[in-house]
Amino acid sequence: MCSRWLAVYSLLALAGLPLAQAATRPRYGGVLRVEIRENIESVDPPDSGTGLADLMGAFSITRWEAGLRATYAADNNAPGGRPFVDAVEVRMGRPLRDQSIDLEVGKADVIELGAGESRRGAAGRKIWMSAPVRIVALVFGPRVEDARIREGLALAVDRTAILNVLLQRQGEISGALLPQWISGYAFLFQPAADLGRARTLIAAAPPGARNLSLGVEDGGLRAMADRVALNARDAGLTVTTAPQGNAGDVRLVDAQVASSDPARALAGIAAALGLIVPARMENAEAVYNAERAVLEGFRVVPLFHLPDVYGAGPRVRGAAGISPLGQWKFGNVWLEGDRP
Amino acid sequence: MTFRTRLLLIFTLAVVASVGVVELLVQKATRREFERMDAARSDALVTQFRKEFDRRSQEVVRAVGGIGRSDSALNIAISPDPTSFYGEAGELAAAHSLDLLELVAGDGAIVSSAEWPARFGYREDWLVEHGDWREGQAFLRRAELPDGVTLALAAVSTVTAGDRKLFVVGGQQLDQAFLSSLVLPDGMRALLYRSLQPKFAAEQMLGPGPRSAELRALVEDTLARKRERYRIVGRGADAESFHALPLAGYDGAALGALLIGSSRRGLAELESKQLRYGIEVAAFGILMSVALGAWATARVTRPVERLARSATAVAAGNWDTTVEVTSGDEIGRLALAFNRMTEELMAQRERLVQAERVAAWRELARRLAHELKNPLFPLQITVENMQRARSQYPEQFDEVFREGSQTLLAELGNLKQIVARFSDFAKMPAPEMQPLDFNRLIGETMKLFEAQLARAGIAAREELDPAAPTVMADPEQMTRALRNLILNAIDAMPQGGTLTVRTRRLGPGLRLEVADTGQGLTPEECGRLFTPYYTTKTHGTGLGLAIVQSVVSDHHGRISVAGAPGKGATFQIDLGDRTG
Repeated sequence: MCSRWLAVYSLLALAGLPLAQAATRPRYGGVLRVEIRENIESVDPPDSGTGLADLMGAFSITRWEAGLRATYAADNNAPGGRPFVDAVEVRMGRPLRDQSIDLEVGKADVIELGAGESRRGAAGRKIWMSAPVRIVALVFGPRVEDARIREGLALAVDRTAILNVLLQRQGEISGALLPQWISGYAFLFQPAADLGRARTLIAAAPPGARNLSLGVEDGGLRAMADRVALNARDAGLTVTTAPQGNAGDVRLVDAQVASSDPARALAGIAAALGLIVPARMENAEAVYNAERAVLEGFRVVPLFHLPDVYGAGPRVRGAAGISPLGQWKFGNVWLEGDRP
Repeated sequence: MTFRTRLLLIFTLAVVASVGVVELLVQKATRREFERMDAARSDALVTQFRKEFDRRSQEVVRAVGGIGRSDSALNIAISPDPTSFYGEAGELAAAHSLDLLELVAGDGAIVSSAEWPARFGYREDWLVEHGDWREGQAFLRRAELPDGVTLALAAVSTVTAGDRKLFVVGGQQLDQAFLSSLVLPDGMRALLYRSLQPKFAAEQMLGPGPRSAELRALVEDTLARKRERYRIVGRGADAESFHALPLAGYDGAALGALLIGSSRRGLAELESKQLRYGIEVAAFGILMSVALGAWATARVTRPVERLARSATAVAAGNWDTTVEVTSGDEIGRLALAFNRMTEELMAQRERLVQAERVAAWRELARRLAHELKNPLFPLQITVENMQRARSQYPEQFDEVFREGSQTLLAELGNLKQIVARFSDFAKMPAPEMQPLDFNRLIGETMKLFEAQLARAGIAAREELDPAAPTVMADPEQMTRALRNLILNAIDAMPQGGTLTVRTRRLGPGLRLEVADTGQGLTPEECGRLFTPYYTTKTHGTGLGLAIVQSVVSDHHGRISVAGAPGKGATFQIDLGDRTG
């Protein structure tokens, strides 16, 4: 038990939390209420990926209502020891705004935070932020055959404004699929913004090719899509944002980096974005070449690498609940006081 | 056309014209009154629109001013990093019921936009260029939206914090909802044209009803002149009158136009009804005027017609005709005068007949005396010679008796001939009509006189119209009349001259002329020439021309003579009956 406490203290120190707060004695019990935007409609709870699947091991599923909620109970025989909380209750399909309200009024303990929310921290709220583990990119469909259109749109997007305003400087601008902290060579794919050249390229394309629909899979990216459409209009493209769920000529998508291993991470991203990469990438050079090959032709235009950000309510104590890769680590989290 | 018909026609026309003029005047007065009411309704609606516009303006000014004075705006203004206020405009706009709201930094860059959140960082340079924004004033402006441009009633509030400045630009769209707030009377509609594009675009016309495209000229004219304009669009019952008011922006540019349309269906229906009533009244008036006119004109014209019939009877020779006097008015006095006139005519005619009869007897006596005196004188001389020879020269008596007997017989023959001529005139037979070719008759007759004319030194000319028609006439009597005229002409030219006989078509009939170049006639002689036993010659019975006149009269023709002393005379005979 003593080693466990030492581990908790060391984690708090890593998260930069005040020792006075961290020095609260851990306690067992309580239900950790977590809210997420995602609707998981599968018949069984997921056993891979980030999020719910990360609970497996320390917790075991006790209740599963697809798309609505899931309840996980603490496993007394967990490899790292029994978690402090008795259970984790996850509500699915909660919009960010509702999550934020629920956290404010005490109906939730852990919520996802949208861009900018981390900078508006309320009193007692803790922020858990991962390394940049999600890539946001434009992926062109097969209908957009003219490379001038694709390159023109890539050059027209004002990434800096989006990062500063919409993303509130969370994350980083990137022209690469893999984040710099994983690959180490992302700086070689410097994104360019050149509205003049974008206009020239697009003007050279046939008029019929200048009308595009932009599909957005994640509602949280809608504002970014609107800005991309506005930038595209300045360059001479008519981009209309398609209703959610409709695949457009070009899609604004985000994909999770599932591994810190460059080859596995690239393969995961490629699979998520529908890109083709070599099955085996032996070394860093092979990964680089594979990524370079994917990015040539502007079929996919990386825009940003973003972190996963969670907010935790004042009852939540203990170490950060997520790993650098954004995986849930609720085993070392406990709840202070009674449930309101 | 009879007098009665003319009177009736005039009466009817007067009624129709009167009804038409009244109808026209009523229609003009109605139209003027409708236009006045229409203008009043439009003015009321324009006033209502202005009030609504002012009210909305004050709402916008209050809302924008409230935001400008809020802590939120001040926080944004003083914030060194305004990017975190990206979503602020949307919340503020919703809280203050504004359709549009932009928070713009002092350098003109958009911090937050409610109507187009993605436009953060874009510039609104017009705010900086204008500089001095006075609070409390709203204006029109074109505002960009993701799906196009809209026209908005906007106001600007400036937040100043030290050297930092924040522009709050908010407003409400001028859209269908704005128009819906206007209370429109029946038959009126309000349209709003938003001048969002360089050229007229029908889809920018907000408001109910069709005709957006038809209003193009009115809208363009209003925007170009920046003045209120008026125009009628459409025809008939579908026509509408439109008052168009330009809506100006803060810089004076015309950004839109309010169109107040008023249906003219009411006027068209009213005019239609008036026209129908007018036609019905006119038709009734015409019928009444015809009936009343017929009755009135009959009353007016009946005495006149009686007068006309009487005058015709008098003209036909019934000089004893009188008219019944039924009133004491002008017509009655005219009838009295007519009756007096016919009585006077009868009296004069009686006197004239008596005078002519006396004159005729005197002339007959004179002519008989003259005619009989000529043979009687040789008879008297011969008898006296025979008596003197028996008493003084008995040996010569036989010879004298023989010569005297011959003379007596000759003069007695003359007396017998004179008596026979008078008898012939008294016994003029009725003509036996048959188709007669006068050209042929003239040719044959003239041949008989060739030798006599030659001896008298008279040149004969025949000017015969080949188109002269055949006329029903008695050939024998006509030959006799023609001979008398030729003989008369020969007697009128003792020194020779030219005798011209002409024919020519006269309508359906024929004109026959016999002209000489003799000593001519005085007007008095022309008047008396056809009187029986009248002659200007020293010989003859004076019956020749009387016989000619009698023949012509029996053929229902007309004879006249024209001439002047020294210029010859021309006899004209007109015969009207034409036979095939």
